Amino acid sequence: MKKIIFLLSLLLISQFLFAQQIEVESYVDRTKIGISDLVKYTIEISGEKIGNISTPRLPKIENFENLGSSTSSSSNYSIVNGKMTSKVTKSYTYTLRPLKIGNYIIPPITIKIKDKSFTTDPIHIKVSEGSTQPAPPTSSSFTQQPNSSLDLSDNLFLKADISKNNVFEEEPIIVEYKLYSRYDIANLAFAGDTNFEGFWKEDIYKPESISFDRETYNGIMYNVMLMRSVALFPTRSGKLNIPSVVLNVDIRTQSHSFFDFGTTKRYNIKNKPTSVKVKPIPQNNKPVSFSNAVGKFKLSSNISQTQLNVGDSFTYTITISGTGNLKQFDIPKLKEVNNLRFLDPEITTDINKNKISGKKTIKYLIIAQEKGNFTLPAVPFTYFDTSSGSYKTLQTKPYQLKIGEGDLTFVASSAAQSIVSLEGSDIGFIITDSELVSKNIYFDKFFYWFIWFIILLFIPASILYSNERTKLQGNIDYIRQKQANKILKKYMKEASALADKNDPGFYAAAQLGLSSYLADKLKEPRGSSTEYIITKMSLKNIPNELIEKIKILFETCNQARFMPGGFSKERIKADFQHVKETINEITKCKF
Amino acid sequence: MKKTMFTFLLAFMAISIFAVNQIELIHKEAINSYNEKDYQTALEKFSLIENEGIVNSDLYYNIGNCYFRINEIGRAILYFKKALKVRSDHQAARRNLEYALTFTKDKQNSESESVIRSFWLKAFDSLSINLLAIITLALFMIIIVFISFMIIHYKNREKTIPLFMTTIFIFLFSVFLIISILKWQEFHSDDEGVLLSTSAIGFSGPGEDFTRVFTIHEGMIFKIERSEDNWSLIKLENGLGGWISKDTYVRIEL
Repeated sequence: MKKIIFLLSLLLISQFLFAQQIEVESYVDRTKIGISDLVKYTIEISGEKIGNISTPRLPKIENFENLGSSTSSSSNYSIVNGKMTSKVTKSYTYTLRPLKIGNYIIPPITIKIKDKSFTTDPIHIKVSEGSTQPAPPTSSSFTQQPNSSLDLSDNLFLKADISKNNVFEEEPIIVEYKLYSRYDIANLAFAGDTNFEGFWKEDIYKPESISFDRETYNGIMYNVMLMRSVALFPTRSGKLNIPSVVLNVDIRTQSHSFFDFGTTKRYNIKNKPTSVKVKPIPQNNKPVSFSNAVGKFKLSSNISQTQLNVGDSFTYTITISGTGNLKQFDIPKLKEVNNLRFLDPEITTDINKNKISGKKTIKYLIIAQEKGNFTLPAVPFTYFDTSSGSYKTLQTKPYQLKIGEGDLTFVASSAAQSIVSLEGSDIGFIITDSELVSKNIYFDKFFYWFIWFIILLFIPASILYSNERTKLQGNIDYIRQKQANKILKKYMKEASALADKNDPGFYAAAQLGLSSYLADKLKEPRGSSTEYIITKMSLKNIPNELIEKIKILFETCNQARFMPGGFSKERIKADFQHVKETINEITKCKF
Repeated sequence: MKKTMFTFLLAFMAISIFAVNQIELIHKEAINSYNEKDYQTALEKFSLIENEGIVNSDLYYNIGNCYFRINEIGRAILYFKKALKVRSDHQAARRNLEYALTFTKDKQNSESESVIRSFWLKAFDSLSINLLAIITLALFMIIIVFISFMIIHYKNREKTIPLFMTTIFIFLFSVFLIISILKWQEFHSDDEGVLLSTSAIGFSGPGEDFTRVFTIHEGMIFKIERSEDNWSLIKLENGLGGWISKDTYVRIEL
């Protein structure tokens, strides 16, 4: 049910809105005419759905004669957000002839469209003797040639609209500079900068391209362009002049013949200087808490939490909204409260497009430092109310805070967004069980890099090892040579065991070991005869005494082999000693 | 000769043991003073140990705590920074530093850091320089072992797996080596300073007759670009640069 009502009301509102969109305006082509001139009086009706309207009948206008009317209509389609809207404009132009010299008024005319009445504005017309000038060439276009200076000031001028004439210091004034023109303007430019002396200025609007709106002023339709809009905050009292804006306007002249393409002519125009009266802010009864704010303001406050623990933080927000010098005044002062730590506030000023109204938000972050019940006192804010001309003091609500005991553990810092919520309530305790030794920095130590060096040595070592292995695998003789010592050792172990037992078998073992060792070293086959080995040895660089010794040794062994039992214990011992010495000498030799 | 050497060595050892004991004694006294909230005495005793030439993050941390307690925020910040310089993974020092920074007049924390950067910083800070040294060394050893293995068995046809493993380890090694070098540089750098006087004015040139650029307050951490006579050109975290008097700040160095 509620929904239906809502929809119905919506429909009604939209109907209302459509009806509102019809506009009726009236204007004349000139307000100063001669007795022999004609005035064109136009009533313009525009709107989305006007339907058929019969030509409005003009009532009898005193001192004027209605010579007849003409009708023209134009349609304008535009597509906004995919929705097409059409605007139809119907103009009814009446030609009026003045009957007498003097100042006359074309009275307001009431027109009924779709059961709604619209009333036009009255228009003043001055009728003088003779003819002032020929009427504009066409009635539909109101662009015309500037012919005389008198004419120029009527058809092209700059006007400054001031929102207020009588203000207090710091109370903003909005000034709009508007260009009114009935000419075809080719180009526009500001001539120099304007210095707003005695004011603190905020620019509201500056046009980026030339675009005109139509507006009637004193009964005449003009092309109007807002050239500049500023908000001015007077900084001192007295009569202050609002400076003029100077414009360079290029006006296109109409071509008179086929070969005349038209020229432009430059005019320098200036608005009439105006002034405002600025009253000083009364100095008596000035409250202490006055913040230099002038205008009309509202104060509100907000607190994020009233029950919290020690170490917690909360935000206290004061919002000042309204119209006035929002940017300039001081923020209200907070009274210090024991056991609450106030951090510097975050101040944001949001100014509306009109530059004089908006909102100032002051955000305090407060940390509770001790448990208990505290009162956050009311904060006074005093401003000078321009509408009543007096000081007004607003106060925020006082807040009761209940602070409980908090746990003193630290808050995770990763969630911290701002400086305050970083950590808990206090610094951590000192470290009591530390080893009081200077910390070694390994990178600075020689030993550390020495380890690197040692590890690095692995590479040449492995290369060497790998090369060795290839040598072993590629050369059997080499292996034999290398393994000769092993074999000798093996046999000599056997031989020494036998010698200990006084076994003559010792000679056989000693001979076999020695001959195999020498054969391997000489790279000769193992089974070579002792004689052959001796001759080979003599070819190598081996001392002769040694060869002789080996020769004798081999002979002794041979004897022993063929005469078992022919050797005494002492002989065996002595020979074993002899063998050992010889082997020692041989191993020292190079083959 | 050998005997004299031996006695000399013995005497030296005895002295050093005595010194260690002495330091431990002072340390205990300092902790007791701190517990009894006599922070001034604790500070004096901790400083005695520091003057012995001991470079230790826990010691710096304790000194920082003492300074914080006696409300010398600038020096507290200096010592917490020193502790972090020795061991960037000193969690307690990091927490205290962040807390102490909230007491400075100038807001200074880098809250507008990107996720990647903060992650990188966290990883960077959580690795101590010695841990990095060990990791780098271990990786180096693994690589060398792999390479040696490949050299010895270079006749083996199947080489792709060791080669692949070696590449991975070389990559890891390079990463850690770069981090180590950065860390080592950071460790030995002394271009950061902390303001100790209550406030200092930054001028546009080295002298008071230059234009004022900014005012900073106690505990501000900044980079020192260069020095001339009694003035140093510093750069704040937000990019502002200016000359301040040399005796208003102290370099963070070990």
